[in-house]
Amino acid sequence: MSRAVSTMAGMALLLATVLAMAAKPDLDYERLRASLNSLAADPALGSLGQAARLTAEQAVQALRSDRSGGKAGRAYRVYMAERRVDIAYAAAQVEHQQNQLQQLAREHDQILLQATQREAERARAEAEKLRLQNLIRAEEVQRLREEGEQSAQAAQAAQAQAEQAQKLVEAQARATELARKEAQLVEAANADLRKRLTHLQATRGAEGMQMTLDDIAFAPGQAGLRPAAKAGLGKLVEFVDRDESKPIRIEGHTDSSGNAQANLALSRRRAEAVRDALIAAGVTAGRISVVGLGETHPVASNATEQGRARNRRVDVILLDTPAG
Amino acid sequence: MVLIAGLALSGCAPTRPPDTGLGDAAQALADAREAGAPTYAPLELRSAQDHLNQAREQAGKRHHEESRRLTDESRADSELAELKARLGKLREQVQGATADNERLRQQSAGAGGEASP
Repeated sequence: MSRAVSTMAGMALLLATVLAMAAKPDLDYERLRASLNSLAADPALGSLGQAARLTAEQAVQALRSDRSGGKAGRAYRVYMAERRVDIAYAAAQVEHQQNQLQQLAREHDQILLQATQREAERARAEAEKLRLQNLIRAEEVQRLREEGEQSAQAAQAAQAQAEQAQKLVEAQARATELARKEAQLVEAANADLRKRLTHLQATRGAEGMQMTLDDIAFAPGQAGLRPAAKAGLGKLVEFVDRDESKPIRIEGHTDSSGNAQANLALSRRRAEAVRDALIAAGVTAGRISVVGLGETHPVASNATEQGRARNRRVDVILLDTPAG
Repeated sequence: MVLIAGLALSGCAPTRPPDTGLGDAAQALADAREAGAPTYAPLELRSAQDHLNQAREQAGKRHHEESRRLTDESRADSELAELKARLGKLREQVQGATADNERLRQQSAGAGGEASP
């Protein structure tokens, strides 16, 4: 009799414990879940470090699905889930910093290129000025000779002309040297662009897999693709032709500098340039729709040059559902 | 010959100690240290070392389950420590490159200013 009572009491206690456990919110789970959600929603980090984030998702999910090992097992899983979430953040930040570093390296090349172009332009102007002066002096010498002057004046003029001619040769050599350097810098930028195009990766967006062509595929402020970009679109073509039944949407984006209306137009023309290049590469025209979104969908802050560079882009989206 | 080699291999297999992952965890710790974790992530590195020590201790006592968990924890600590170290270094590089570009920009603006009439 008393055994039956104690068994029943035991069962009641067990039931109460089970109910309490079921009703009690899992604070560790909630906290880590929230942390992962805010990482995924972060405008700068959300699309980065996806492998580490997936591992973290699994570790956090195990807090719910895995009940083995008693208290020690639970403590282990909480510890691992916390670490995995931290690792996911760190991995995304590492990738973000790597992107920034690459962006800064491109900026560095761009500054050098512009400085060289300015310098070359000045050198050409200087050479041209000297050439004209030289012409005038040569005429002067010629005139004095024709007038039969054998004076010191004529000799002096001839001397001055020789010096001037030497200067001209030097200036022309300098202009040539600068032009060569400029060509080298342009070639380096093209090589960088080609490398980046062959390393393009598809990421999952809200509406399907997508690839992003960034800023340097286009000449600054212009709508057309650079020739090097046109030649290097193989990876993008391969991506959109992976599933030929899916429609493609091409979205152009700009940063927030300048006039919003002009940005809309520029972003649309850039998206159209990408469309034309895809069609030229054999992609079916009927699959493609084009939209220019201007500055309305930034993926990074417009307050920094790096952020603006990331915002200037064209997204090529392989839509999961037919466009409606 | 192949037969002998096969026999030798299959003879060896059962005598090998079970793979506890302790070696991998020690390697991960060394990698983290190599990456600069002593400077950039000393707490995580310390935690990785502590967990590894405990894992070895538990393995010695044949508490395999406990040892396996501690080994996992140590590896996760090391992984985080290494990432934090890389992040720290990258941030410094980004700062350096930003300052470099700024200087370069000013220089070329200055050079342009002088030459213009």
